[in-house]
Amino acid sequence: MYTVLLNSPLSSEMATVLPDIETMITVLYFALFAMSFDFISGYTGYLSFGHAAFYGTGAYFVILTSNGKIPGLATGTPFMLMLVLAGLAAVVLALLIGAVSFRLSGVYFAMITLGFSQVLYVFIRGWDYAASNPRDGPAVLERTDPFSIGIPGVDSLNLAIGQLAGDEVEGLLGVLNFGTTEVSYYMVGLVVLVCYFAMQRIIHSPFGKVMVAIRENEERAEAIGYNTFWYKLGAFGVSAFFAAVAGGLFAGFQRSVSPESTFYFTVAGDALLASIIGGFGTLAGPLYGYLFDESVTEFLSKSGEGGGLLPYLRDHLGEGTLSTEVFNGLTVQEGIDTFLNGHAELYVGAVFILFVLFVPNGLLGTVRDRLGGHVGKQVAARLRGDER
Amino acid sequence: MNSILFLDALGQFLQPDNLASVLVDGLAKAALYVMIAGGLTLIFGLMGVLNFAHGSLTMIGAYLGGLLMVLAVGQASGPGTRLLTFFLALAATFALLAGLGGAMEVTLIRRLYDRPPVYQILLTFGLTLILDELVRIVVLFYGLQPTSEWQAALGTKPGFLSSSVDLGIISVAGLDLFEIAVGALTVGALWAFLTRTRYGLIIRAGSEDAEMTEALGIDVRRVFTVVFALGAGVAGAAGVLLMWDASWGASVPLASHTLLPAFVVVIIGGLGTFRGTVVAAVIVGLTDAVMSWWFINEIDFAGLPQMTIFLILVVMLILRPQGLFGVEEVGGH
Repeated sequence: MYTVLLNSPLSSEMATVLPDIETMITVLYFALFAMSFDFISGYTGYLSFGHAAFYGTGAYFVILTSNGKIPGLATGTPFMLMLVLAGLAAVVLALLIGAVSFRLSGVYFAMITLGFSQVLYVFIRGWDYAASNPRDGPAVLERTDPFSIGIPGVDSLNLAIGQLAGDEVEGLLGVLNFGTTEVSYYMVGLVVLVCYFAMQRIIHSPFGKVMVAIRENEERAEAIGYNTFWYKLGAFGVSAFFAAVAGGLFAGFQRSVSPESTFYFTVAGDALLASIIGGFGTLAGPLYGYLFDESVTEFLSKSGEGGGLLPYLRDHLGEGTLSTEVFNGLTVQEGIDTFLNGHAELYVGAVFILFVLFVPNGLLGTVRDRLGGHVGKQVAARLRGDER
Repeated sequence: MNSILFLDALGQFLQPDNLASVLVDGLAKAALYVMIAGGLTLIFGLMGVLNFAHGSLTMIGAYLGGLLMVLAVGQASGPGTRLLTFFLALAATFALLAGLGGAMEVTLIRRLYDRPPVYQILLTFGLTLILDELVRIVVLFYGLQPTSEWQAALGTKPGFLSSSVDLGIISVAGLDLFEIAVGALTVGALWAFLTRTRYGLIIRAGSEDAEMTEALGIDVRRVFTVVFALGAGVAGAAGVLLMWDASWGASVPLASHTLLPAFVVVIIGGLGTFRGTVVAAVIVGLTDAVMSWWFINEIDFAGLPQMTIFLILVVMLILRPQGLFGVEEVGGH
């Protein structure tokens, strides 16, 4: 699809607008994190502002294990096993944090989870066991082979992912050839998809119904006889598990992490942005939200090779236009550089505010409202021509 | 750490001069905390809006204050006029930030009063992104930092801020005294404004029961705008103070560095109580000073002083979830 669009007559415009495949990998694992955030915040209504703690736990767990720094775990532990263990570690952490935090609600809950994640952030920044320079964060040192996703022990089913190194697949089914990045894309995507279906399953189970009941009216849910505390704690644990898996995928793909990119509260803030733009309380929404977010960011601020508005304008505006003075000695060229180079946050923030003000249900939520139900079901029903 | 060393350290810590300097240090920190949290608690306590953009307003205050100092104080000659322009610049920062806050309330926040409180958090969170990035563009474009010209702003501060004052057993940095004075003055002024003036009465009435106040013929919308402007102004003044303080300084990340302590202080005090915020600021300031002393002199873990404030928060919320003076949970989810 991507290749088809790139080879179309509008190729240079398409390269400008579409995210490239590295970005899509980021979108996938971060969307999983945003989904896990939405799982607890969107469905139970408890805004977990410190969700970055679990993402960070997952990321650090993978890096530390592969450096042989977790006691009892060998350097060569299969990646899939690491992800599951990282998830379980995050569940333990979530139960500890949740046991205290769920005595509170509303703004207090958001703040205490934020407090916990900041404690962890400051701790990890000063903990020299994790990395020789804890402020910059650790990287994978001991282990040279790329992390592989698949079934541990069955070599033929494993495919390695990595930003710089991974597997290549040639001639799958006789036609498909994938480069290293494409393999990473599909394998990360596979894990994210499985996690998505798992969360989807939970949400549509009786357990999920109780979560929604807590969101809608906690007192009433309690009056019916549910011990809401345990349900909230359970949901928090599940959410932490998937957040840690997302963090683990991030670490596995990038092979290095930093406190800023994992434990800092703005990481949870990004998940919040994605959830709101995509649709709060729609599990798939955060994926679209983050894709939208990331596309805007990349379109507006990408300064490097290929893609983005900045190189496009540089290439397509004539030399004359670029050196025209607009205001007080500021040429168009300088203006473009000033406002487009690395300042996408500005526009993302503006888009976000517009969403909060005018599209409170987010992208997916609004589409569902228009169609009157889940997109898949509604589209299928209309195609079949069902009377509604 | 063995126990003899610990007792030595304790003895050293309990020396009167040492204790006094830690106390002054703590009070100065408390003054800063009360300044950065004061506006936040005002806006939350009276309007129920949790303003995530508060840190950004403080950060803008820091830059704006510095800019005004360079423009105004740098031009003035003679210590008298310099001192006068220094305070004028401080007042101007307050006024400009109040204007910005008022504009924010009128154009954006006003639209969200009838929605769940979480939307206000979201909106102001989006605002921080925009404000931070705008400041970053301006700073980059005019090359404000980290060039030597920006140091000129620090050079314009009056002499008493960089000298120290002898107070019997200890000598106190002039900056610390100034911070304590401004903090106390702000708390006093806000308290007097809210409880002793007619407009303060109207503000409190508007926050208690907006409909009834409206029925009495008072424009509650305007009251809220004023409260928001006031809170933003205090945030701006806090920024100017922080700019001089060597441990903070003006930078774009200042926005998030001040936002988190501000939240912590407000929550420890109990959401929505001004008195609680003041007490919490003193507690946090003193604990921070004591912990800093211990961790710099005795225990070697660089992260812990920064962790203290959040540890206080966590302990506080476990013991007393509603905060020191909080009565009930404000806001929903």
